[in-house]
Amino acid sequence: MSRRHISAATALAAATALALSACGRDDDAGGGGNGNAAPSADITDGPATGTIEVWAMGTEGEALGDFLADFEEANPDATVEVTPVPWEGAHDRIATAIAAGETPDVSLIGTTWMGEFAQTGGLEPTPTDLFDENDFFPGPWASTVVDGTSYGVPWYVETRALFYRTDLAEAAGLEPPQTWDDLKAFAQGLQQAGAQQGIYLQPGQSGSWQTFMPFAWQNGATLTDGDAYTLDSPEMTEALEYYTSYFTEGLSQDTVLQPGALEQMFADGSIGSFISGPWHIGLVRDAGATDTFDVVPLPGKDQAPGTSFVGGGNLAVFTDSDNKDGAWKLIQYLTETEVQQRWYETATGLPSRPEAWESGVLTEDPVVAVFGEQLESTEAPPAVPTWEQVASVIDGDIEAAVRGAMSPADAVADMQSQASSIGTGLQ
Amino acid sequence: MTTATTAPASRPAPTGGSPARRRRSLLQRRQARTAWLLALPFLLLFAAFTAGPVFASLLMSFTDMRSTDVRTPFAVDLAAFDNYTALFQDALFRKVAVNTAIFVLVGVPLTMVLALAAAVGLNNITRLRAFFRLGYYLPVVTSIVAVSVVWRFLLQPDTGPINQLLGAVGIGGPDWLGDPSLALPSIIAMAAWRNLGTLMVIFLAGLQTVPRELLEAAEVDGAGRWQRFRHVTLPLLRPTLLFGAVITGIGYLQFFEEPFVMTNGGPLNATRSVSYYIYDQFSFGNYGYAAAASYVLFVAIVVLTAIQFRVLRPKA
Repeated sequence: MSRRHISAATALAAATALALSACGRDDDAGGGGNGNAAPSADITDGPATGTIEVWAMGTEGEALGDFLADFEEANPDATVEVTPVPWEGAHDRIATAIAAGETPDVSLIGTTWMGEFAQTGGLEPTPTDLFDENDFFPGPWASTVVDGTSYGVPWYVETRALFYRTDLAEAAGLEPPQTWDDLKAFAQGLQQAGAQQGIYLQPGQSGSWQTFMPFAWQNGATLTDGDAYTLDSPEMTEALEYYTSYFTEGLSQDTVLQPGALEQMFADGSIGSFISGPWHIGLVRDAGATDTFDVVPLPGKDQAPGTSFVGGGNLAVFTDSDNKDGAWKLIQYLTETEVQQRWYETATGLPSRPEAWESGVLTEDPVVAVFGEQLESTEAPPAVPTWEQVASVIDGDIEAAVRGAMSPADAVADMQSQASSIGTGLQ
Repeated sequence: MTTATTAPASRPAPTGGSPARRRRSLLQRRQARTAWLLALPFLLLFAAFTAGPVFASLLMSFTDMRSTDVRTPFAVDLAAFDNYTALFQDALFRKVAVNTAIFVLVGVPLTMVLALAAAVGLNNITRLRAFFRLGYYLPVVTSIVAVSVVWRFLLQPDTGPINQLLGAVGIGGPDWLGDPSLALPSIIAMAAWRNLGTLMVIFLAGLQTVPRELLEAAEVDGAGRWQRFRHVTLPLLRPTLLFGAVITGIGYLQFFEEPFVMTNGGPLNATRSVSYYIYDQFSFGNYGYAAAASYVLFVAIVVLTAIQFRVLRPKA
């Protein structure tokens, strides 16, 4: 190394040390939109103006552009530019956009991402005079609230209910289950009536917490107390024991089904029942089970309906948006009762407003209406930045308990110890 | 920069001083300048897109940066070696490190032996050589995702062709990818099958450089087939074997797509690799921690490569 190289290296090291010593977290909670509450004063009364850039994922993204023609007609000075974003890359794309300050005005945001993006300070708090919490289902609304402040509005929702084969249930002389004991007997009955497995419960891997947590919620378990994870409770252990009993008693298989296999096996009668969301109505009908299935709300521990999981998409406005006024007006439009009903007809997104379920198309299909009923009793996962990581811990421990690698009590204790060391990320 | 260029010869000699010497140094300087100028686009791209991020990620691994800090990347705390100590205390990281070690220690020799066997076989036939070479090489150029999906189908417990074949001869095949003790070996077998093509082509080229006279001389001396292979061919192949071991080792230490497509890292994390773990940590938003894990993997690659160079270097 020549002298010149050494001095260059020293200078670089010094500069680095300087840069690093100059940084460090503020003492108060980082990001999180501190001190920028009450933005509602910025929203004007007239129609929206200017360009409103919107990102939306999946089928929503493809259908939204045409759907908004009416909005543009009502707001002639406004232009809406919708960019469809595939769900696969959406999380990283939004994160990068926030980091670079190059965000659209509005984006669809998966409910489980709210905590993380709100914590960056990239999302605007919801103007409370424009949106009334009481107009929306409570579970979905809770998914927008991070550390006490709401950062978006629920747009569409999805929840889970129990799908079952009516022909097998009739053959076994069974009514839809109301309680945990009923559900167990129900699965046994369906199996005796010819199904290979009475019920398919996801035995682990990505997303199995969405099937398991409803049982825990029904039993009174909680995920957080607002500040810390509270997974290690007797209620949680009891729920996991109940969940694993389906596998030890041979009522559900302990390996994960390949994509597409579930609806096929349900249609040919080898699976008697399963828990899933509204998208499975179409999938099951396509697989050939048109008149031989029904959907009912989840059973509760002692009475129906039991608590279910709620997910879906929220609409949020970015702090880097140039047109927050237009952005909130667009969201206001999209969450109107009638517009939500029309949106259901366009893209089958289930409305986040209870009012939209009381009339029109959503009352016509009894199978769909069941999900509206279920939405009254739901819980959302906590909107904290580390939720996805803790969810994967829960998935792993569910798998360990299902396969007998850990007792349910140990699995729950492991969930808690890992979640505690991860923390909520809210500081 | 020792090669001479022709252009300066036609230029007029500079006036004054000791002309020959001066002209030479001027020429050298001009050459150096041209060289830097030509290298500049690459250097700029390298600095901006490779060296910069590499350096930034090294710094990041010593901070507690999370995805929630992206708007204020300098408002993070220094964590010194906390990320690294936390990494080795994480039972899951130790598990994925063991998985990766097994994958490399079993997979690399397996792939090399299979590739060498295929190469020797092909070297000894003349008819249909191109056909077999293509056949062995085809998996390499096929998309890993497509390959994984097909193998997942082959390995299905009830309907998969492998278990149906086993069933035909009266063996009840296991759930290859669903059984925690069989999933990793299944994936190793698939990786060896998929990657042997590249090595086979390289080994085949190496085999053709082995002088025929040497083999004939050994034959005259009474060496059998195996002895000729063991004492003539293999020593001459050492540099080729080293190259093959290094590139396969580096690739296998970073294996990711196979479990990502086939098993999602399961069952019970039996097929989760270090790369998969890093991917997960990045997607959880633990940037500092994920960067630390990346550097641990980087050091492991350097160490493995150094060992391979020591063991397989040509004997002087």
